Amino acid sequence: MEEDEFFGEKTFQHYCAEFIKHSQKIGDGWEWRASKDCSDGYMCKTHFQVKNGTAMSHQGTSAHVQTFLPVEEAVDPPLDDFEVTETTTAAEVIKYEYHVLYSCSYQVPVLYFRASFLDGRPLALKDIWEGVHECYKMRLLQGPWDTITQQEHPILGQPFFVLHPCKTSEFLIPVLKNSRKINRNVNYITSWLSMVGPAVGLNLPLSYATAASQEEGNVSGQGKKRSLHSTFPVAEILGLFCIWLCPPCWTQHFLSLLSPLTGH
Amino acid sequence: MTDDKDVLRDVWFGRIPTCFTLYQDEITEREAEPYYLLLPRVSYLTLVTDKVKKHFQKVMRQEDISEIWFEYEGTPLKWHYPIGLLFDLLASSSALPWNITVHFKSFPEKDLLHCPSKDVIEAHFMSCVKEADALKHKSQVINEMQKKDHKQLWMGLQNDRFDQFWAINRKLMEYPAEENGFRYIPFRIYQTTTERPFIQKLFRPVSTDGQLHTLGDLLKEVCPSAVAPEVPNTVLPGEAKIEPTFEPSRIAGGRKASLAVKCWASQGPSRVFIARKKFHWFRTKLKQQVFRAGVQKFQL
Repeated sequence: MEEDEFFGEKTFQHYCAEFIKHSQKIGDGWEWRASKDCSDGYMCKTHFQVKNGTAMSHQGTSAHVQTFLPVEEAVDPPLDDFEVTETTTAAEVIKYEYHVLYSCSYQVPVLYFRASFLDGRPLALKDIWEGVHECYKMRLLQGPWDTITQQEHPILGQPFFVLHPCKTSEFLIPVLKNSRKINRNVNYITSWLSMVGPAVGLNLPLSYATAASQEEGNVSGQGKKRSLHSTFPVAEILGLFCIWLCPPCWTQHFLSLLSPLTGH
Repeated sequence: MTDDKDVLRDVWFGRIPTCFTLYQDEITEREAEPYYLLLPRVSYLTLVTDKVKKHFQKVMRQEDISEIWFEYEGTPLKWHYPIGLLFDLLASSSALPWNITVHFKSFPEKDLLHCPSKDVIEAHFMSCVKEADALKHKSQVINEMQKKDHKQLWMGLQNDRFDQFWAINRKLMEYPAEENGFRYIPFRIYQTTTERPFIQKLFRPVSTDGQLHTLGDLLKEVCPSAVAPEVPNTVLPGEAKIEPTFEPSRIAGGRKASLAVKCWASQGPSRVFIARKKFHWFRTKLKQQVFRAGVQKFQL
């Protein structure tokens, strides 16, 4: 609709579609849901977690992807059925739902999520907050508009928790600008979600990042393999990780440190 | 906006006469009398009902009380919607006063946001103001303000201080002389007939050929089902230029406010208990509003 939109809604939907394609390949469970009038929609995923912190194995992806180091990822062959290794009672299993919506006001993606026990009892904000890693809590508490708050889901009308979107473009725009400079395709949904997701218990397997690079390799038709290919997204994610944790005034500083890594 | 000061005041001072009744299954030590209150249309339920809470808690035991919530004809009321919006959406066709049921247990987790303190209401309100400014000015005006200005905006709303509020809000309602308006109009359209809570889309105040968009243009584009096709003399004020209010919500709320007051006045003020010191003041204001509602066409 608008040419001057950097993250227009159509761009958002395009990158979500690409993201979901890869999710389907590796069985990560993301899907698109259209609103009733089909004018828009959102990306969503449900996963289950036992309260003591060990996630249940779900269709082949390792749940403990807390590291950003370039390790050889031993992907288990995808399981046909959802297998549950459950030794605890039903009351301790928590169902997490993650929804990725587009905010036309801020022109960025927004992460909505909610958690409940299997019997339907929802988790309170303080319980969710307990699950947030210490290093994220500090950053999240910097301003009342940068924290997790409870809000009404704009399409479903039900209470969800939301990571406030107003600072998203500050760290996303440099990523896109930089990648366009060097003609590298970046799926900004992948970049953004890999940044904000872990703060609320949502981890992305590393293959999402390399998938985006591979798509670009196919499009350009070049067989040339860049040796830094497997580490490039890692450096990017590491750098962005630092940026996100720091106050906005440090963003420029870190970006200038990062550019030798992201350039070739 | 200075020539619209009358309209701004009428929107701000709009009131809805309400009767609060305790839910019959709540456990009480003695009979709970209903509580009458004039609710400000522009405020939020949990911000203006401290007296209601105190009134009913007097007849209940501490252990039977948890988070207060409100309901109208079986529908839990979303405290994060402005009061005027809730009334227009759910009860505008019913007789006044607005009958709201008060609950202290079985909080409907799937329908309502929690409101543990006034800070939550402030955070929600400021987040709405911020989002509206993101649309109007790419957040430049709100971000350039100091924290004390944000605080003044909130305190103006909380304490019903029109001048205090508008001293800051007028900055959010200005645009550079060379522009014809805001970047985008902050609006939301609420309907009871849809599952979706509201319609919100990007909409420019001026068309590509420089024509000012009207409310009718907006509705035709984002909510065509609400516009009666090709019928003259429709209810919608199609010729009115879009003048956004400070709330990024509801359309034509101002007109309903005056109508509500008008209907209420005909039923007589004797059915409403008002704080004694405000009663006399209110009667004078009421007469003024009824007179104005009769002769003035609302523009929004």
